[in-house]
Amino acid sequence: MPLFFTQTLAILQKDLKTEWRTRERLSAMAFFAFLIVIIFNFIYEPGSPIIKTVAPGIFWIATAFAGLLGLSRSFAIEKQNDCLMGLRLTPADPGAIFLGKMLGNTLTMLILQALILPILVIFLNLQIAQALPHLILPILLGTLGLATIGTLFSAMSLNTRLREAFLPLLTLPIFIPALLAAIESFRAVLEGSEITDWLVLSSAFVALYIAACLLLFEYVLED
Amino acid sequence: MHQKPYILPFIFGILALICLTIAPYLVFMYAGIEKEMGLAQKIFYYHVPSAFSMFLGSFLCFIFSIFYLWKRDKNCDLWAACSAEVSLLFGTLVLITGAIWAKPIWGAWWVWDAQLTLTLILWLILAAYHMLHTYLEDAVQSARFRAVLGIIGFLNVPFIHYATKLWRTHHPEVVRGEEISLPPDMKIVFFFCVITFFALFFALLFKRVSLAKAQNELESLKAEI
Repeated sequence: MPLFFTQTLAILQKDLKTEWRTRERLSAMAFFAFLIVIIFNFIYEPGSPIIKTVAPGIFWIATAFAGLLGLSRSFAIEKQNDCLMGLRLTPADPGAIFLGKMLGNTLTMLILQALILPILVIFLNLQIAQALPHLILPILLGTLGLATIGTLFSAMSLNTRLREAFLPLLTLPIFIPALLAAIESFRAVLEGSEITDWLVLSSAFVALYIAACLLLFEYVLED
Repeated sequence: MHQKPYILPFIFGILALICLTIAPYLVFMYAGIEKEMGLAQKIFYYHVPSAFSMFLGSFLCFIFSIFYLWKRDKNCDLWAACSAEVSLLFGTLVLITGAIWAKPIWGAWWVWDAQLTLTLILWLILAAYHMLHTYLEDAVQSARFRAVLGIIGFLNVPFIHYATKLWRTHHPEVVRGEEISLPPDMKIVFFFCVITFFALFFALLFKRVSLAKAQNELESLKAEI
Protein backbone atom coordinates (compact mmCIF):
# COMPACT_ATOMS: atom_id res chain seq x y z
CA MET A 1 0.00 0.00 0.00
CA PRO A 2 1.33 3.46 -0.86
CA LEU A 3 2.78 5.36 2.07
CA PHE A 4 0.16 8.11 1.77
CA PHE A 5 -2.69 5.71 2.51
CA THR A 6 -0.82 3.99 5.33
CA GLN A 7 -0.40 7.40 6.95
CA THR A 8 -4.05 8.26 6.36
CA LEU A 9 -5.16 5.01 7.93
CA ALA A 10 -2.88 5.55 10.93
CA ILE A 11 -4.42 8.97 11.59
CA LEU A 12 -7.92 7.59 11.10
CA GLN A 13 -7.22 4.71 13.46
CA LYS A 14 -5.83 7.07 16.10
CA ASP A 15 -8.87 9.35 15.89
CA LEU A 16 -11.38 6.54 16.04
CA LYS A 17 -9.55 4.92 18.94
CA THR A 18 -9.47 8.10 21.05
CA GLU A 19 -13.12 8.69 20.21
CA TRP A 20 -14.11 5.12 21.06
CA ARG A 21 -12.34 5.19 24.41
CA THR A 22 -14.36 8.15 25.70
CA ARG A 23 -17.27 8.40 23.26
CA GLU A 24 -17.40 11.97 24.58
CA ARG A 25 -17.80 13.67 21.25
CA LEU A 26 -20.36 11.28 19.82
CA SER A 27 -22.62 11.34 22.87
CA ALA A 28 -22.62 15.15 22.96
CA MET A 29 -23.36 15.26 19.23
CA ALA A 30 -26.16 12.70 19.48
CA PHE A 31 -27.80 14.50 22.38
CA PHE A 32 -27.58 17.85 20.58
CA ALA A 33 -29.07 16.35 17.40
CA PHE A 34 -31.87 14.80 19.44
CA LEU A 35 -32.60 18.20 20.99
CA ILE A 36 -32.70 19.85 17.57
CA VAL A 37 -35.23 17.31 16.27
CA ILE A 38 -37.38 17.82 19.37
CA ILE A 39 -37.18 21.62 19.24
CA PHE A 40 -38.07 21.72 15.57
CA ASN A 41 -41.30 19.89 16.42
CA PHE A 42 -42.57 22.90 18.33
CA ILE A 43 -42.50 25.08 15.22
CA TYR A 44 -45.41 23.24 13.68
CA GLU A 45 -48.76 21.98 14.86
CA PRO A 46 -48.42 18.35 15.98
CA GLY A 47 -49.46 15.98 13.23
CA SER A 48 -49.49 18.76 10.62
CA PRO A 49 -48.85 17.44 7.08
CA ILE A 50 -46.16 20.09 6.59
CA ILE A 51 -43.85 18.04 8.83
CA LYS A 52 -43.38 15.54 6.01
CA THR A 53 -42.00 18.20 3.69
CA VAL A 54 -39.70 19.73 6.27
CA ALA A 55 -38.42 16.42 7.66
CA PRO A 56 -35.41 16.30 5.26
CA GLY A 57 -34.55 19.82 6.33
CA ILE A 58 -34.76 18.92 10.02
CA PHE A 59 -32.59 15.86 9.43
CA TRP A 60 -29.89 17.91 7.71
CA ILE A 61 -30.03 20.84 10.12
CA ALA A 62 -29.59 18.38 12.99
CA THR A 63 -26.69 16.71 11.16
CA ALA A 64 -25.02 19.99 10.23
CA PHE A 65 -25.30 21.63 13.66
CA ALA A 66 -24.45 18.55 15.70
CA GLY A 67 -21.77 17.73 13.12
CA LEU A 68 -20.23 21.16 13.57
CA LEU A 69 -20.17 20.56 17.31
CA GLY A 70 -18.13 17.41 16.72
CA LEU A 71 -15.98 18.96 14.00
CA SER A 72 -14.99 21.81 16.27
CA ARG A 73 -13.52 19.27 18.70
CA SER A 74 -11.66 17.50 15.91
CA PHE A 75 -8.63 19.77 16.19
CA ALA A 76 -9.36 21.19 19.63
CA ILE A 77 -8.38 17.81 21.13
CA GLU A 78 -5.04 18.10 19.36
CA LYS A 79 -4.36 21.34 21.21
CA GLN A 80 -4.06 19.48 24.52
CA ASN A 81 -0.48 18.58 25.35
CA ASP A 82 0.55 20.19 22.07
CA CYS A 83 -0.48 17.12 20.10
CA LEU A 84 -0.82 19.25 16.99
CA MET A 85 2.89 19.95 17.14
CA GLY A 86 3.48 16.22 17.42
CA LEU A 87 1.34 15.61 14.35
CA ARG A 88 3.24 18.28 12.48
CA LEU A 89 6.55 16.70 13.41
CA THR A 90 5.59 13.26 12.11
CA PRO A 91 6.86 12.53 8.61
CA ALA A 92 3.22 12.20 7.51
CA ASP A 93 2.07 14.19 4.50
CA PRO A 94 -0.25 17.08 5.52
CA GLY A 95 -2.73 15.74 2.98
CA ALA A 96 -2.71 12.38 4.77
CA ILE A 97 -3.36 14.06 8.11
CA PHE A 98 -6.25 15.92 6.54
CA LEU A 99 -7.70 12.83 4.88
CA GLY A 100 -7.42 10.72 8.04
CA LYS A 101 -9.12 13.39 10.14
CA MET A 102 -11.76 13.95 7.50
CA LEU A 103 -12.61 10.25 7.23
CA GLY A 104 -12.79 10.00 11.02
CA ASN A 105 -15.22 12.91 11.12
CA THR A 106 -17.27 11.41 8.29
CA LEU A 107 -17.59 8.10 10.14
CA THR A 108 -18.60 9.85 13.36
CA MET A 109 -21.25 11.83 11.52
CA LEU A 110 -22.55 8.73 9.74
CA ILE A 111 -23.01 7.02 13.10
CA LEU A 112 -24.78 10.17 14.30
CA GLN A 113 -27.11 10.05 11.29
CA ALA A 114 -27.87 6.40 11.92
CA LEU A 115 -29.09 7.55 15.34
CA ILE A 116 -31.06 10.60 14.11
CA LEU A 117 -32.95 8.78 11.38
CA PRO A 118 -34.87 6.44 13.73
CA ILE A 119 -35.63 9.40 16.01
CA LEU A 120 -37.04 11.24 13.02
CA VAL A 121 -39.10 8.21 12.02
CA ILE A 122 -40.56 7.91 15.51
CA PHE A 123 -41.21 11.55 16.32
CA LEU A 124 -42.30 12.78 12.90
CA ASN A 125 -44.07 9.57 11.98
CA LEU A 126 -42.07 9.35 8.78
CA GLN A 127 -42.25 6.39 6.39
CA ILE A 128 -38.82 5.81 4.93
CA ALA A 129 -38.45 2.01 4.88
CA GLN A 130 -38.78 1.74 1.09
CA ALA A 131 -36.77 4.85 0.31
CA LEU A 132 -33.89 3.88 2.58
CA PRO A 133 -31.60 2.24 -0.04
CA HIS A 134 -31.91 5.33 -2.27
CA LEU A 135 -31.12 7.64 0.62
CA ILE A 136 -27.70 6.16 1.34
CA LEU A 137 -25.78 7.77 -1.53
CA PRO A 138 -27.06 11.35 -1.14
CA ILE A 139 -26.55 11.19 2.64
CA LEU A 140 -23.03 9.85 2.22
CA LEU A 141 -22.11 12.58 -0.29
CA GLY A 142 -23.59 15.35 1.84
CA THR A 143 -21.73 14.10 4.91
CA LEU A 144 -18.45 13.86 3.02
CA GLY A 145 -18.95 17.44 1.82
CA LEU A 146 -19.58 18.73 5.34
CA ALA A 147 -16.67 16.75 6.79
CA THR A 148 -14.27 18.00 4.10
CA ILE A 149 -14.77 21.71 4.55
CA GLY A 150 -15.51 21.32 8.26
CA THR A 151 -12.19 19.57 8.91
CA LEU A 152 -10.23 22.23 7.03
CA PHE A 153 -11.94 25.09 8.85
CA SER A 154 -11.75 23.26 12.17
CA ALA A 155 -7.97 23.54 12.02
CA MET A 156 -8.27 27.19 11.01
CA SER A 157 -10.88 28.37 13.50
CA LEU A 158 -8.83 26.99 16.38
CA ASN A 159 -6.38 29.87 15.97
CA THR A 160 -8.97 32.64 15.97
CA ARG A 161 -9.86 34.58 19.09
CA LEU A 162 -13.24 32.87 19.22
CA ARG A 163 -11.68 29.38 18.94
CA GLU A 164 -14.16 26.64 18.03
CA ALA A 165 -17.07 29.07 18.11
CA PHE A 166 -15.81 30.52 14.84
CA LEU A 167 -16.17 27.26 12.91
CA PRO A 168 -19.85 27.57 11.87
CA LEU A 169 -19.26 31.09 10.53
CA LEU A 170 -16.70 29.74 8.07
CA THR A 171 -18.27 26.39 7.26
CA LEU A 172 -21.94 27.18 6.76
CA PRO A 173 -21.69 29.71 3.88
CA ILE A 174 -19.46 27.35 1.91
CA PHE A 175 -21.60 24.33 2.76
CA ILE A 176 -24.87 25.88 1.47
CA PRO A 177 -24.80 24.39 -2.08
CA ALA A 178 -24.07 20.89 -0.77
CA LEU A 179 -26.65 21.32 1.98
CA LEU A 180 -29.21 22.36 -0.61
CA ALA A 181 -28.36 19.28 -2.68
CA ALA A 182 -28.59 17.03 0.38
CA ILE A 183 -31.97 18.36 1.53
CA GLU A 184 -33.50 18.46 -1.95
CA SER A 185 -32.36 14.95 -2.86
CA PHE A 186 -33.69 13.59 0.46
CA ARG A 187 -37.05 15.19 -0.31
CA ALA A 188 -36.99 13.96 -3.91
CA VAL A 189 -36.34 10.39 -2.74
CA LEU A 190 -39.31 10.58 -0.36
CA GLU A 191 -41.47 11.87 -3.21
CA GLY A 192 -40.07 9.28 -5.58
CA SER A 193 -38.65 11.76 -8.11
CA GLU A 194 -35.34 11.99 -9.97
CA ILE A 195 -32.20 13.02 -8.05
CA THR A 196 -29.42 12.56 -10.63
CA ASP A 197 -28.79 16.31 -11.00
CA TRP A 198 -28.37 16.74 -7.27
CA LEU A 199 -26.08 13.72 -7.06
CA VAL A 200 -23.88 15.15 -9.82
CA LEU A 201 -23.70 18.42 -7.93
CA SER A 202 -22.79 16.88 -4.60
CA SER A 203 -20.24 14.46 -6.05
CA ALA A 204 -18.55 17.33 -7.91
CA PHE A 205 -18.59 19.34 -4.68
CA VAL A 206 -16.99 16.51 -2.71
CA ALA A 207 -14.38 15.74 -5.40
CA LEU A 208 -13.30 19.34 -5.91
CA TYR A 209 -13.15 20.21 -2.24
CA ILE A 210 -11.26 17.07 -1.23
CA ALA A 211 -8.70 17.88 -3.94
CA ALA A 212 -8.51 21.55 -2.88
CA CYS A 213 -8.19 20.68 0.82
CA LEU A 214 -5.47 18.09 0.17
CA LEU A 215 -3.46 20.84 -1.49
CA LEU A 216 -4.30 23.64 0.91
CA PHE A 217 -4.10 21.82 4.23
CA GLU A 218 -0.34 22.19 4.26
CA TYR A 219 -0.77 25.98 4.56
CA VAL A 220 -3.20 25.63 7.43
CA LEU A 221 -0.93 23.33 9.46
CA GLU A 222 2.17 25.43 8.92
CA ASP A 223 3.33 27.37 11.95
CA MET B 1 9.08 56.41 -3.49
CA HIS B 2 5.35 56.31 -2.83
CA GLN B 3 4.52 58.19 -6.01
CA LYS B 4 3.08 55.19 -7.81
CA PRO B 5 0.52 53.92 -5.32
CA TYR B 6 -0.87 57.41 -4.79
CA ILE B 7 -1.26 58.40 -8.43
CA LEU B 8 -3.45 55.44 -9.39
CA PRO B 9 -6.29 56.07 -6.92
CA PHE B 10 -6.21 59.70 -8.00
CA ILE B 11 -6.55 58.93 -11.72
CA PHE B 12 -9.29 56.37 -11.20
CA GLY B 13 -11.00 58.59 -8.65
CA ILE B 14 -11.21 61.47 -11.13
CA LEU B 15 -12.41 59.08 -13.84
CA ALA B 16 -15.08 57.65 -11.54
CA LEU B 17 -16.15 61.14 -10.51
CA ILE B 18 -16.57 62.28 -14.11
CA CYS B 19 -18.40 59.11 -15.09
CA LEU B 20 -20.65 59.23 -12.03
CA THR B 21 -21.71 62.79 -12.92
CA ILE B 22 -22.54 61.84 -16.50
CA ALA B 23 -24.18 58.51 -15.69
CA PRO B 24 -27.38 59.84 -14.02
CA TYR B 25 -27.96 62.15 -16.99
CA LEU B 26 -27.62 59.26 -19.44
CA VAL B 27 -29.77 56.99 -17.27
CA PHE B 28 -32.66 59.43 -16.89
CA MET B 29 -32.46 61.59 -20.03
CA TYR B 30 -30.94 59.51 -22.77
CA ALA B 31 -32.15 55.96 -22.15
CA GLY B 32 -35.82 55.33 -22.87
CA ILE B 33 -38.29 54.38 -20.19
CA GLU B 34 -38.96 50.67 -20.15
CA LYS B 35 -42.56 49.87 -21.13
CA GLU B 36 -43.50 47.35 -18.47
CA MET B 37 -41.35 48.26 -15.48
CA GLY B 38 -41.36 52.03 -15.96
CA LEU B 39 -38.96 54.10 -13.90
CA ALA B 40 -38.08 51.22 -11.58
CA GLN B 41 -36.06 49.70 -14.40
CA LYS B 42 -33.56 52.58 -14.11
CA ILE B 43 -31.99 50.98 -11.07
CA PHE B 44 -30.82 48.20 -13.37
CA TYR B 45 -28.06 50.54 -14.62
CA TYR B 46 -26.57 50.65 -11.14
CA HIS B 47 -27.57 47.22 -9.93
CA VAL B 48 -25.97 45.05 -12.63
CA PRO B 49 -22.67 46.98 -12.88
CA SER B 50 -22.38 46.70 -9.08
CA ALA B 51 -22.85 42.94 -9.43
CA PHE B 52 -20.11 42.85 -12.08
CA SER B 53 -17.79 44.78 -9.77
CA MET B 54 -18.58 42.39 -6.96
CA PHE B 55 -17.68 39.36 -9.06
CA LEU B 56 -14.57 41.09 -10.35
CA GLY B 57 -13.54 41.76 -6.75
CA SER B 58 -14.03 38.16 -5.66
CA PHE B 59 -12.17 36.92 -8.72
CA LEU B 60 -9.24 39.25 -7.98
CA CYS B 61 -9.26 38.02 -4.38
CA PHE B 62 -9.08 34.42 -5.65
CA ILE B 63 -6.16 35.16 -8.00
CA PHE B 64 -4.21 37.15 -5.40
CA SER B 65 -4.83 34.43 -2.80
CA ILE B 66 -3.29 31.82 -5.10
CA PHE B 67 -0.34 34.10 -5.77
CA TYR B 68 0.12 34.72 -2.08
CA LEU B 69 0.36 31.01 -1.24
CA TRP B 70 2.65 30.49 -4.20
CA LYS B 71 5.03 33.47 -3.91
CA ARG B 72 4.50 34.42 -0.24
CA ASP B 73 4.53 38.04 -1.25
CA LYS B 74 2.91 40.19 1.45
CA ASN B 75 1.59 42.54 -1.20
CA CYS B 76 -0.50 39.78 -2.76
CA ASP B 77 -2.24 39.21 0.56
CA LEU B 78 -2.84 42.93 0.86
CA TRP B 79 -4.40 43.08 -2.58
CA ALA B 80 -6.52 39.99 -1.96
CA ALA B 81 -7.87 41.37 1.33
CA CYS B 82 -8.58 44.78 -0.19
CA SER B 83 -10.36 43.36 -3.25
CA ALA B 84 -12.52 41.22 -0.98
CA GLU B 85 -13.41 44.25 1.09
CA VAL B 86 -14.35 46.41 -1.89
CA SER B 87 -16.21 43.42 -3.32
CA LEU B 88 -18.19 43.15 -0.07
CA LEU B 89 -19.15 46.81 -0.42
CA PHE B 90 -20.41 46.31 -3.98
CA GLY B 91 -22.21 43.14 -2.90
CA THR B 92 -24.07 45.16 -0.29
CA LEU B 93 -25.00 47.66 -3.02
CA VAL B 94 -26.26 44.82 -5.23
CA LEU B 95 -28.47 43.43 -2.47
CA ILE B 96 -29.87 46.85 -1.53
CA THR B 97 -30.56 48.01 -5.09
CA GLY B 98 -31.97 44.56 -5.88
CA ALA B 99 -34.42 44.82 -3.01
CA ILE B 100 -35.49 48.35 -4.04
CA TRP B 101 -36.09 47.11 -7.58
CA ALA B 102 -37.87 43.93 -6.52
CA LYS B 103 -40.47 45.69 -4.35
CA PRO B 104 -42.41 47.42 -7.18
CA ILE B 105 -41.67 44.76 -9.83
CA TRP B 106 -42.06 41.49 -7.96
CA GLY B 107 -44.14 42.86 -5.12
CA ALA B 108 -41.72 41.76 -2.42
CA TRP B 109 -38.41 43.03 -1.09
CA TRP B 110 -36.88 39.64 -1.43
CA VAL B 111 -37.62 36.76 -3.79
CA TRP B 112 -35.59 33.56 -3.71
CA ASP B 113 -34.54 33.92 -7.30
CA ALA B 114 -31.47 31.96 -8.40
CA GLN B 115 -29.33 35.03 -9.11
CA LEU B 116 -30.35 36.80 -5.91
CA THR B 117 -29.55 33.73 -3.86
CA LEU B 118 -26.17 33.40 -5.56
CA THR B 119 -25.34 37.01 -4.71
CA LEU B 120 -26.49 36.58 -1.13
CA ILE B 121 -24.38 33.46 -0.54
CA LEU B 122 -21.32 35.07 -2.11
CA TRP B 123 -21.92 38.08 0.11
CA LEU B 124 -22.03 35.74 3.14
CA ILE B 125 -18.70 34.18 2.13
CA LEU B 126 -17.14 37.63 1.70
CA ALA B 127 -18.48 38.62 5.11
CA ALA B 128 -16.97 35.46 6.64
CA TYR B 129 -13.67 36.31 4.93
CA HIS B 130 -13.77 39.77 6.43
CA MET B 131 -14.57 38.36 9.89
CA LEU B 132 -11.75 35.83 9.72
CA HIS B 133 -9.42 38.75 9.10
CA THR B 134 -10.62 40.56 12.21
CA TYR B 135 -10.60 37.54 14.51
CA LEU B 136 -7.04 36.40 13.84
CA GLU B 137 -4.12 37.81 15.76
CA ASP B 138 -0.96 36.49 14.17
CA ALA B 139 -0.39 38.51 10.98
CA VAL B 140 1.40 35.85 8.94
CA GLN B 141 -1.04 33.12 9.91
CA SER B 142 -3.93 35.46 9.23
CA ALA B 143 -2.64 36.07 5.70
CA ARG B 144 -2.29 32.33 5.06
CA PHE B 145 -5.75 31.46 6.37
CA ARG B 146 -7.29 34.30 4.45
CA ALA B 147 -5.69 33.06 1.24
CA VAL B 148 -7.03 29.55 1.88
CA LEU B 149 -10.54 30.91 2.49
CA GLY B 150 -10.24 33.17 -0.58
CA ILE B 151 -9.55 30.14 -2.75
CA ILE B 152 -12.09 27.82 -1.12
CA GLY B 153 -14.73 30.54 -1.21
CA PHE B 154 -14.31 31.39 -4.86
CA LEU B 155 -14.34 27.72 -5.88
CA ASN B 156 -17.81 27.64 -4.41
CA VAL B 157 -19.29 30.04 -6.98
CA PRO B 158 -20.01 27.45 -9.72
CA PHE B 159 -21.63 25.18 -7.14
CA ILE B 160 -23.85 27.93 -5.78
CA HIS B 161 -24.77 28.89 -9.33
CA TYR B 162 -25.71 25.34 -10.29
CA ALA B 163 -27.45 24.58 -6.99
CA THR B 164 -29.60 27.72 -6.91
CA LYS B 165 -30.60 27.16 -10.53
CA LEU B 166 -31.63 23.58 -9.86
CA TRP B 167 -33.34 24.60 -6.66
CA ARG B 168 -35.45 27.31 -8.25
CA THR B 169 -36.50 25.20 -11.21
CA HIS B 170 -37.75 22.67 -8.69
CA HIS B 171 -40.16 25.26 -7.39
CA PRO B 172 -42.99 26.24 -9.73
CA GLU B 173 -43.45 29.86 -8.59
CA VAL B 174 -40.12 30.90 -10.07
CA VAL B 175 -39.96 34.53 -11.21
CA ARG B 176 -37.63 35.36 -14.05
CA GLY B 177 -35.16 38.15 -13.60
CA GLU B 178 -33.64 40.76 -15.85
CA GLU B 179 -34.39 41.11 -19.54
CA ILE B 180 -31.67 39.76 -21.81
CA SER B 181 -31.95 41.79 -25.01
CA LEU B 182 -31.73 45.54 -24.61
CA PRO B 183 -32.62 48.22 -27.16
CA PRO B 184 -29.54 50.11 -28.45
CA ASP B 185 -29.99 53.26 -26.34
CA MET B 186 -30.26 51.24 -23.15
CA LYS B 187 -27.30 49.13 -24.19
CA ILE B 188 -25.05 52.20 -24.57
CA VAL B 189 -26.08 53.57 -21.20
CA PHE B 190 -25.64 50.15 -19.64
CA PHE B 191 -22.09 49.80 -20.96
CA PHE B 192 -21.28 53.30 -19.82
CA CYS B 193 -22.49 52.41 -16.35
CA VAL B 194 -20.37 49.25 -16.36
CA ILE B 195 -17.29 51.37 -17.14
CA THR B 196 -18.34 53.86 -14.45
CA PHE B 197 -18.63 51.17 -11.81
CA PHE B 198 -15.38 49.53 -12.82
CA ALA B 199 -13.67 52.91 -12.52
CA LEU B 200 -15.23 53.37 -9.10
CA PHE B 201 -14.23 49.84 -8.15
CA PHE B 202 -10.58 50.40 -9.06
CA ALA B 203 -10.53 53.85 -7.48
CA LEU B 204 -11.73 52.37 -4.19
CA LEU B 205 -9.44 49.36 -4.52
CA PHE B 206 -6.29 51.43 -5.14
CA LYS B 207 -7.26 53.81 -2.37
CA ARG B 208 -7.85 50.92 0.03
CA VAL B 209 -4.52 49.32 -0.89
CA SER B 210 -2.57 52.52 -0.34
CA LEU B 211 -4.35 52.95 2.98
CA ALA B 212 -3.46 49.40 4.00
CA LYS B 213 0.16 50.00 2.99
CA ALA B 214 0.25 53.19 5.04
CA GLN B 215 -1.19 51.25 7.98
CA ASN B 216 1.48 48.58 7.65
CA GLU B 217 4.17 51.21 7.50
CA LEU B 218 2.80 52.86 10.61
CA GLU B 219 2.80 49.51 12.39
CA SER B 220 6.42 48.84 11.51
CA LEU B 221 7.44 52.35 12.52
CA LYS B 222 5.69 51.87 15.84
CA ALA B 223 7.50 48.56 16.28
CA GLU B 224 10.84 50.29 15.66
CA ILE B 225 10.18 52.78 18.44
